[in-house]
Amino acid sequence: MHIKRMKTGWAILALSLIVMGMLAAPLPERSPRLVSVLHLPVELNMCEPTLMAALQQGIRDLPNAEQQEREAKAARSAGARIPMRTIRDTAPTYSAIAYDANSDEVILQDNNLWSYRVFDRLDNTLGPDETTKPKRIVQGDKTALQFNNGLYVDPQSGDIFSVESDTGDKMVRFPREANGNVSPKSILHTPHRVYNIAADEVKREFFVTVEFPPEVVIYSKDASAEDQPLRRIAGDNTGLDAPHGITVDDKNRLLFVNTWGHHSNFRIAGTGKYLPPAIQVYSLDASGDAKPLRAITGDKTLLNWPAAMKFDPDSGDLYVANDIGQDILVFANASTVHGDVAPARVIKGPQTRLRNPTGLALDRKHQELWVSNLGNASATVYPLMANGDVPPLRIIRSAEESKRSLNFGRTAAVTYDAIRQEILVPN
Amino acid sequence: MNHPQIAVFARLAKEDTPYLRSIEGQRSLLGRTMHDIAFDNIHDEIAVTSPLAQAILSFRGAANGEEAPLRVIQGDKTQIKGVGATGKVSIDPVNNEILLATPDQTILTFDRLANGNVPPKRVLGGLATQLYLGEQNTGGGNVPCLRVDPIHNLLIVPVGGYGGGRVLIFDRTASGNTPPKAFIKGPVRMGNQFEIYPPTLRLVTHTRGNIEIWRIPERGESAEPPLKIPAPLGRQSNDIGIVLDPIHKEVIIATAAGNNIMTFSVPEVFE
Repeated sequence: MHIKRMKTGWAILALSLIVMGMLAAPLPERSPRLVSVLHLPVELNMCEPTLMAALQQGIRDLPNAEQQEREAKAARSAGARIPMRTIRDTAPTYSAIAYDANSDEVILQDNNLWSYRVFDRLDNTLGPDETTKPKRIVQGDKTALQFNNGLYVDPQSGDIFSVESDTGDKMVRFPREANGNVSPKSILHTPHRVYNIAADEVKREFFVTVEFPPEVVIYSKDASAEDQPLRRIAGDNTGLDAPHGITVDDKNRLLFVNTWGHHSNFRIAGTGKYLPPAIQVYSLDASGDAKPLRAITGDKTLLNWPAAMKFDPDSGDLYVANDIGQDILVFANASTVHGDVAPARVIKGPQTRLRNPTGLALDRKHQELWVSNLGNASATVYPLMANGDVPPLRIIRSAEESKRSLNFGRTAAVTYDAIRQEILVPN
Repeated sequence: MNHPQIAVFARLAKEDTPYLRSIEGQRSLLGRTMHDIAFDNIHDEIAVTSPLAQAILSFRGAANGEEAPLRVIQGDKTQIKGVGATGKVSIDPVNNEILLATPDQTILTFDRLANGNVPPKRVLGGLATQLYLGEQNTGGGNVPCLRVDPIHNLLIVPVGGYGGGRVLIFDRTASGNTPPKAFIKGPVRMGNQFEIYPPTLRLVTHTRGNIEIWRIPERGESAEPPLKIPAPLGRQSNDIGIVLDPIHKEVIIATAAGNNIMTFSVPEVFE
């Protein structure tokens, strides 16, 4: 009833606007008044060491956020208009997680403030208003970190690799001890729309998912600058429809890739269609337009915007961070199952503190499962064999316990609902 | 971009104010690269594209959580093409139409209530239109957003991309190889979105630290400079979003790289 009244109100308002426009619109010859102009430089003007490091590696498009903030501050001091309100998240938004077994450290990727943060494995945030201070934060324009949401830690060197989902199109590599606003030790130019990363340590290869045009791109682990992929998995037979999470079973030489089912050929009009989400399984040596060996898909799987995945070679279990399901799905015997199978275990419920889980890491040394929660600025850790509504063993929080993240991941459009006086923001 | 939700905030939301609701999940059919979004204040609906699946989705205005769209325009009859190119959608609620530009240099107009694999009711395109809507390269490439002025019956189409160019003004119902009836000479720079305020025939963009307000001519070419209001955003990228709130005389800007939504009081737009 209320909505109907509001609709009627809007129809009246729309008609009023039409009448107002006819009666009150300015005469055509009336020009806008130029009240003031502040010249704000927008050309990329990076600080010299960053620019040099980037140019040496053939990368030019580093972020210049610090300069933009300085310029905005100066312009506002000089009289530029100041926003009345700003909707933003002041806390990090944790999109991915990795565990370094050599240093017993946990690395959390921050998609909001463009950083990664390093914590001790045994850190535990206790009080509801407490937060845990990271041991190190890598953040700033020199780092080239932007909307990164894939992490990998080299098990030997401890080097941290991070991939970017949008504007940067880069994989950046830092030494374990990196701290502050530092340049990466190498930068690899990747395709646009990368999501996640996995490695085959036997052959020293990186596997990177690209959401669209959909493909898995395989690089040498030492690739940098403009080095080209060793091979690609791409084509109509691959079943790669919006691939996201990826993991490797190097014992059985298998590659797992989850997909959201959004299909189209951008070169051909009207080819769009929706398919169910799936976990596609390939040979680890697959190349070109390779058909998956099998697929795990169907209603029983509970897949709902699946994100990062990890394979445990000791148990054969496949762990899936299931963003919208607010749970972690565990598929047993993942190297052989196919079709519409239910997960053997599901970690889910209010005690788990899971909220939009998108990152996973396995700590096989201590038999623990780490999860990064996009939706509440936290990482939670569970026994590796956890099942059901289990509380985390420990929690690392970068915001208060009641935190609900905004989950922003590049706010490039907006609209306004005048009926409810609400702002709608797509990611 | 790892979580392609549509988050809904109260107008007065500030830092760390949680969203009121979010449309998300497999059932929503949403995906990444939503570079435009439209709210239909007459029929209380949301229109947005799902570019990776070449689809236009319409949701009810109060949609919440894992909610399926009311209607989906998708299929081989639609002529919808591209991916980045499919990120923009416009709605004309007064005349019940949904509009989309394509990298084939066409503008498709669908009936607002169209559903499924349906052809557009009008296609504007051809040399005389002077449309240059960008090109679809390997997965990238963007087309401009479009806006309709239902008061003066105008279709407004910027050409020239982020670097700035002319704005073509067509009769709202122009179809086929029809030339524009008016132009803004520009260069008019903009991000993913621009907005218009039909009662005063104004076009609003944000670029290079300024909110720019241009007059929309109904005939011929306008070379008038814009009114520039300095309003820097801080961390941002070129492909920002923008929308107007005429009731409160505010301009709302999504800063893209900044991960911020900033609301400015700009009564000049509405005078």
